Amino acid sequence: MSRIGNALASSVGKKIVMGLTGFLLVGFLVEHLHGNLKLIEDPSGRAFNEYVAFLQGFGPLLLVAELGLALLFLAHVYLAFRLTLENLQARRSGYVVRARRGGSTTGSLTMFYSGALILAYLVKHLLDFRFDARFFADPAALVKQTLAQPGHALAYVGAALVIGVHLSHGFRSAFQSLGVNHPGWNPLLAKLGMVVAFLLATGFAAIPLYFMLSASEGNPS
Amino acid sequence: MSAAAGHDAADSMRITLKVWRQEGPDRRGRMETYRLADVSPDMSFLEMLDVLNERLIAEGDDPVAFDHDCREGICGACSLVIDGQAHGPEALTTVCQLHMRRYSDGDTIHVEPWRANAFPVVKDLVVDRSAFDRIMAAGGFVATHAGAAQDANAILVPKPEADRAMDAAACIGCGACVAACPNASAMLFVAAKVAHLAQLPQGAPERERRALSMVHAMDAEGFGNCTNHFECMAACPKGISVENIARMNREFLRAALFERPTATAAEGG
Ligand code: FES
Repeated sequence: MSRIGNALASSVGKKIVMGLTGFLLVGFLVEHLHGNLKLIEDPSGRAFNEYVAFLQGFGPLLLVAELGLALLFLAHVYLAFRLTLENLQARRSGYVVRARRGGSTTGSLTMFYSGALILAYLVKHLLDFRFDARFFADPAALVKQTLAQPGHALAYVGAALVIGVHLSHGFRSAFQSLGVNHPGWNPLLAKLGMVVAFLLATGFAAIPLYFMLSASEGNPS
Repeated sequence: MSAAAGHDAADSMRITLKVWRQEGPDRRGRMETYRLADVSPDMSFLEMLDVLNERLIAEGDDPVAFDHDCREGICGACSLVIDGQAHGPEALTTVCQLHMRRYSDGDTIHVEPWRANAFPVVKDLVVDRSAFDRIMAAGGFVATHAGAAQDANAILVPKPEADRAMDAAACIGCGACVAACPNASAMLFVAAKVAHLAQLPQGAPERERRALSMVHAMDAEGFGNCTNHFECMAACPKGISVENIARMNREFLRAALFERPTATAAEGG
């Protein structure tokens, strides 16, 4: 195997790629939320539609960016499956009694499950919006219409909360994997991880809640 | 069972032990229950097992096999998972330094071996930890001739670095990190060795080669991957910090990027 292949295939290499792709995906989520919040900022939907048009204005470059994003997801998901399988195999005969000592958290112990839920929602999300034929005609209208339905809205809120749980471990963990662990920075990084997880979860959850509530009150705008 | 210990009967405790018994590597194991009626709070946990074994031998049964050597917390031989915790409930304490005064009359205690495929059970509570030896042989040493002991101030090492290297060097190689890790990963052990040597002038020249070959050897043994639960650090009887794992990740990255292929002597110098 090549030098880079060897490094990436090692246990440390896998960690580093997991952390790096995780970071970039958080960056995507931040920008995605920034775009989505335009739906609340401007209830007429014009600002959001302009944002979508702005992105579409990039033409083939947008496609390149989307493919890059898809690659990030694929790498992150592939490694998640591989790490999970390898880790299960590393202890085939388990403990009769098992007690945690305080290192692991709900977030850390459920990374695979939270990730799988996010992946499942991602597929639904893409089918609901990005790959819906009506999306590019009037994206804001499609989003409002979809999220006014309680089933869709609750799934969206659920996914947002699961992202929060995933990041409650993932953010800090990515720093550690990339070699950042310093007594002077650790308390700040731990807090920052929780803040990022909380803000992304509540930020995304706010959008369907807003449409659900405004739909039940009649016309949102 | 006799009251041979001869201590004050008022202190004595009744303890129920559920112990993993496994006749050999390829045999099926099971939890076996033993009742001890006369356990002194002054006994260490291993002395309690000694008492159990004396009784088993007297009764013509097979004694419980368990690893131990120094019994003073420095050799890393003792290795029991007690009630689901590597080395038992006391923080920063090997199981040989755990005492029965931690328990109360009537307690039931579960005793199991380290569990990881890379640490196969030899018998009962004894596991084969030679995987660690093979990882050490891949680079956990200084290959150059360091010569005779130098004058104390011939090689200056700044105090903070000496302290950090010393903290990492406190690792006794017991394997509790692997036993406690939900993924059975050996990262903390390997990180302690890599970090210890990389921070000292004698070990620094080989740091790249060491990081690559020790990580490679660890992977070859079938340990799990680290996903940063940090259970290892909580279980480590020597308090080795996961800061060392971050350091190893940096060492590895640096080595993967900058280590030049060399035609030097074979692994192990
Ligand atoms: S027997 Fe040596 S550390 Fe416990």
